[in-house]
Amino acid sequence: MSEPLLSVNNVSLRFGGVRAISDVSFDVVKGEIRAIIGPNGAGKTSMLNCINGFYHPQEGAITFKGVKRPRVKPHEAAVGGIARTFQNVALFKGMTTLDNIMVGRTLKMHSSFFWHLFRKGPAMNEEIEHRRKVEEIIDFLEIEHIRKTPVGKLPYGLQKRVELGRALAMEPDLLLLDEPMAGMNLEEKEDMCRFILDVNKTYGTTIALIEHDMGVVMDLSDRVVVLEYGRKIADGTPDVVKADQNVIDAYLGVAH
Amino acid sequence: MSTAEAASTAAPLPGWVIPTAKTLGIITAIAALIIALVSSGIAPKGSWANKILAAPFVEMWELPDLLVQTLWEGTVAGILYALIALGFVLIFKASGVFNFAQGIMVVFAGLTLVGLYEFFGRQGFSGTPAAYVALILTLAVMALLAIGIERIVLRPLVNQPDIILFMATFGLTYFLIGFGETIFGGSPKIMIADQLGLPKGAVDLAILGGRVTLQKIDIAAAVIAIVMIIVLAVFFQKTRIGRALRAVADSHKAALSVGISLNQIWIIVWFAAGVVALVTGIMWGARSDVSFALETVALKALPVLILGGFTSVPGAIIGGLIIGIGEKIGEFYWGPLLGGAIESWLAYVIALGFLVFRPQGLFGDKIIERI
Amino acid sequence: MGRQLNLVVRADVGGDTFGKLLAENARIRGSRPAMRFKDNGIWVSWTWSEVNEEARGLAAGLQALGLKRGDKIAIVGGNRPKLYWSMMAAQILGAIPVPVYSDAIADELAYVLDNAEVTFAAVQDQEQVDKIISVSEQVPKLQTMIYDFDRGLEDYDHSKLHHIDAIIAAGKASLGDAKASAALDAEIATGKGSDISIILYTSGTTGRSKGVMLTASGCINAAIDTVTFDKLTDQDSVLAYLPLAWVGDHYLNYAQALVAGFCVACPESAETAQADMKEIGPSFYFAPPRVFENLLTRVMIRMEDAGALKRSMFHHFIGVAKQWGEKILNGESVPLSAKLSYGLGNLLVYGPLKNALGFSNIRVAYTAGEAIGPELFSFYRSLGLNLKQLYGQTEAFLYVTAQPDGQIRSDTVGPATPNVEIRIDDITGEVLYKSPGQFVGYYKAPEKTAETMTQDGFVKTGDAGFFDATGHLRIIDRAKDVGKLKDGALFAPKYIENKLKFYPNIKEVVAFGQDQDFASVFINIDIIAVGNWAERNNVSYGGYQELAGLPQVYDIIAAHVEETNRTLAAEPMMAGGQIGRFLILHKELDADDGELTRTQKVRRGFIAERYQPLVDALYSGKTEQHIATEVTFEDGRKGTIAATVKIRDAKTYPAVVVANAMGAMGKAA
Repeated sequence: MSEPLLSVNNVSLRFGGVRAISDVSFDVVKGEIRAIIGPNGAGKTSMLNCINGFYHPQEGAITFKGVKRPRVKPHEAAVGGIARTFQNVALFKGMTTLDNIMVGRTLKMHSSFFWHLFRKGPAMNEEIEHRRKVEEIIDFLEIEHIRKTPVGKLPYGLQKRVELGRALAMEPDLLLLDEPMAGMNLEEKEDMCRFILDVNKTYGTTIALIEHDMGVVMDLSDRVVVLEYGRKIADGTPDVVKADQNVIDAYLGVAH
Repeated sequence: MSTAEAASTAAPLPGWVIPTAKTLGIITAIAALIIALVSSGIAPKGSWANKILAAPFVEMWELPDLLVQTLWEGTVAGILYALIALGFVLIFKASGVFNFAQGIMVVFAGLTLVGLYEFFGRQGFSGTPAAYVALILTLAVMALLAIGIERIVLRPLVNQPDIILFMATFGLTYFLIGFGETIFGGSPKIMIADQLGLPKGAVDLAILGGRVTLQKIDIAAAVIAIVMIIVLAVFFQKTRIGRALRAVADSHKAALSVGISLNQIWIIVWFAAGVVALVTGIMWGARSDVSFALETVALKALPVLILGGFTSVPGAIIGGLIIGIGEKIGEFYWGPLLGGAIESWLAYVIALGFLVFRPQGLFGDKIIERI
Repeated sequence: MGRQLNLVVRADVGGDTFGKLLAENARIRGSRPAMRFKDNGIWVSWTWSEVNEEARGLAAGLQALGLKRGDKIAIVGGNRPKLYWSMMAAQILGAIPVPVYSDAIADELAYVLDNAEVTFAAVQDQEQVDKIISVSEQVPKLQTMIYDFDRGLEDYDHSKLHHIDAIIAAGKASLGDAKASAALDAEIATGKGSDISIILYTSGTTGRSKGVMLTASGCINAAIDTVTFDKLTDQDSVLAYLPLAWVGDHYLNYAQALVAGFCVACPESAETAQADMKEIGPSFYFAPPRVFENLLTRVMIRMEDAGALKRSMFHHFIGVAKQWGEKILNGESVPLSAKLSYGLGNLLVYGPLKNALGFSNIRVAYTAGEAIGPELFSFYRSLGLNLKQLYGQTEAFLYVTAQPDGQIRSDTVGPATPNVEIRIDDITGEVLYKSPGQFVGYYKAPEKTAETMTQDGFVKTGDAGFFDATGHLRIIDRAKDVGKLKDGALFAPKYIENKLKFYPNIKEVVAFGQDQDFASVFINIDIIAVGNWAERNNVSYGGYQELAGLPQVYDIIAAHVEETNRTLAAEPMMAGGQIGRFLILHKELDADDGELTRTQKVRRGFIAERYQPLVDALYSGKTEQHIATEVTFEDGRKGTIAATVKIRDAKTYPAVVVANAMGAMGKAA
């Protein structure tokens, strides 16, 4: 197996006295789709927040591209190549789809402020260059028809798609998706699945995703890690995980 | 194969046309009411009703040059109010902080500029070059101030409730007052308008059968303010950093996740607000003088914000003009009835009056969210 | 033998096949734009010479793959330039394009592909490739597929599958050789006007679809007539958003473009057509009534949400337009004040509105396919949009009648178009015609062709109609659908359906009543309009089914039904056929479930069968009825929707004396 892109080693996270994550370790290998699943309150979103720097675990270490990063900040994680989406969609609601995805290009833009102000020279070329990239993403996600619509006016399913577009615009090495299919109808889910697989295949982006829908997870991912009450209870290929007694108990066996 | 950008087509009526038209309608209705009152004899000459409802309008009609003069003065005051409000809006949009210290930043910027110039004077360096060196250094001071505020005040308080940050800006206000007095002393200073090349004197215009006097410094203030507003608008709408600023204003979480550094944005915004404060300080200082008394004037930004909405740049501008003009008209035509000096509170009355019709302010964000 | 087919092109447009016309266009207006397509947010355009070059390249490439004269090639996808070029390339070689509806389910697709014996297919993308592969066993003759959009297709077996770009490139390279190029020219010259140019499958309200064979010269002659009729030139432009497989697209956007040399713009995607329309600003436009209806609904909803002043301004000037707009458009004399008022309205309301809809540059617009509501029709005309009606069908290569400028009414479809001959059958009242574009027969179905033709070579339309005093044709209904109630009163289901459908709250109606005591209807509410009403009135609902079942919604619809009865009562012929009872259907009628045709017409018989319990309940006096229906989801899976549907009685009115009736009918009189 190749070198892991991201490894999480013995990470624990507490909020006051509450343990959100206890001593969890797993890794994400370059090029794979890795799922993190578990019942509500298992610490999945907290895990993502640790990886992209919204939270800082009290114990353990997270290594990304071979570098340990103590107390990394979210924007530093983004600079390092980690993009993400949010469970409840965090978009710039007053801005258009196009502008939202353009903002995703912020880190890739370098021309000086001065040129920007006059929309001339290098800044204009750069703007055109980035606009082309953004249009490719719009085409990829089939959202041409909402290009100029303020995203606050869009239905939820499309907002999720725009959010994915913004994350893609960052051309990340690692893409974190927090319940990309939550609240969607069947058709939207199928579309989203197709996009996730296509992103992984076309751009070779490594993806770590949290998902509730077990069926979707098993179809989509190469490997699955299962959390329950902040602990890891299983880790492996979908088939292995599906057969794991702990997982069966967590999801089906014990009535909560 | 040839390519062509899609021809953009004409935009529909801009949103502001409608409120303006509505306002016009209300004004027309009031005018009709007044004419009816006066002509029907319900309000004979000399009665209170006449003095309040009819006489001022008759005066406006009969002495249009005076009306123009009043409107002009109102406009200039309004532009300066708008500039101060603009500083508030910038910071509020980007960081959600209501910056109580914006008024004192105007004074502080003005004092720094004059103080630096005086310091150069004592070294034997004066005139226009010295004024401009002082101006550039003042910009640097405002940048340092922005960095300092971000490091010392905002960063440690991030994720605290808004009220805590608001209180922090109170602290900042008193710090700046104390710090300013220590360095520059408490006495009023004269703005170095001449040295900066700002025009002085006045232009007399003969119009409408009378004479209207426009101070050149006022004209300059209007022009500079307009230029600055245009630059800010371009900056916000068209540049990478502007886009990032709008993004931060919309959602901190999302902005962070795409790699925008909040700290950097805050510094930029506070610096921008500092620049706006400096320009305001120069303009206002040139009309009166630079002293801590200016701070109360800065509080006029409050009714402007109530009127224009806390998050809207056009709102700050239009709101400033309405307050400025309303105040001057009120003072001039109705002030004597109430023994004068109504300028100090009239602005709030105007703002409250508007609130009855539009609680979200003239340009307040209409929330477009699906539930 | 029937009528002599005209195999000679009457006007000199440069050839009797589309292959020749393309070459001619490239020769005489080579640098004029021929096609536009919005790709990655930017409009890309091709001139006639460029299109000619691409199409020739594709033809050479397809020839190398084995496509030859007389072969059929299926065209499956949306309005994309490369699919249009595929048609051109086929016609250059003398092969026959067979466009198929891109939203056809696999079953339908397989039937057409097999029936037409296609050996090649040009398709849009992975979705269509997958669909065809899934039915490959049913279409053994299909050998080669080419596709336009390559996403997701990288890993497919490419032995029989090719990217169009690669084929064009290979073809262009081979045409670099002068001999090869001359050979292709010779191939074009071999083509004759009597060759079959295209086979269009009709969706058909009954049974399997049939392949309508059209000749090259017939197509071109028909197009010449209408291009002349509407004075179309190479300065015009259209936005091609109609389905490729429908005669309307092939006629209006393909045949007319090649004859007149105007530019065809292809939208970025089906969803963006409205926005693209605004950017392109076409000068010729066609839309079925339902599109005009949807646009109007959207405008009205926007206006409900607008500020008070804007709204009152809108309503005021729409009122002005209603009063004077059509008169001004028809060139009648109106008072100066009306002109001024209308001019101001144009500046403030009509202009911006037309711009928002993309109608600013439209010179000629048509609607057809269904009866259009008089209000709806007048609304657009009063804004200054030159909207007209035509009547036609695939077998005629579209036009049978059309309204000339200045003779426009909502209740007729106009006189016969030039060179079209119309006759009304004495006994059945069926409309019969002979037209220049008239088909030569259904593919592989001579018995069906014979059924459709009269002894003396006229084509039967299947519609009942009559000529009114002004010489305009009026269509009542499908000839076989006009029936009688038990008491002998005339029952014209479509007539009733159309009347009800003119209410914005009602999307679809199915009327029953043959041999019954009274007429009754199924209603589909318009989810946008009624949903908007619900939102404004704080009525909460979970989806179509819940909304449709709300008593308040029933009240609204009941009012519409009763108003319809009142107007029916005012019409002597129809007064006996008023609606006695109605229900609001628990699901939206859907083409995927076979309830609508692909062109969105209701299939009354099928629906009656499928919802038999509901129909029975309508006539048994029950006030509600449980029903479970199988539905097909868009991905092809099946499921069941069950509901208890409420049934209501509707108030009927006594027949009104004729004198009053004419008053109530207003302009229709």
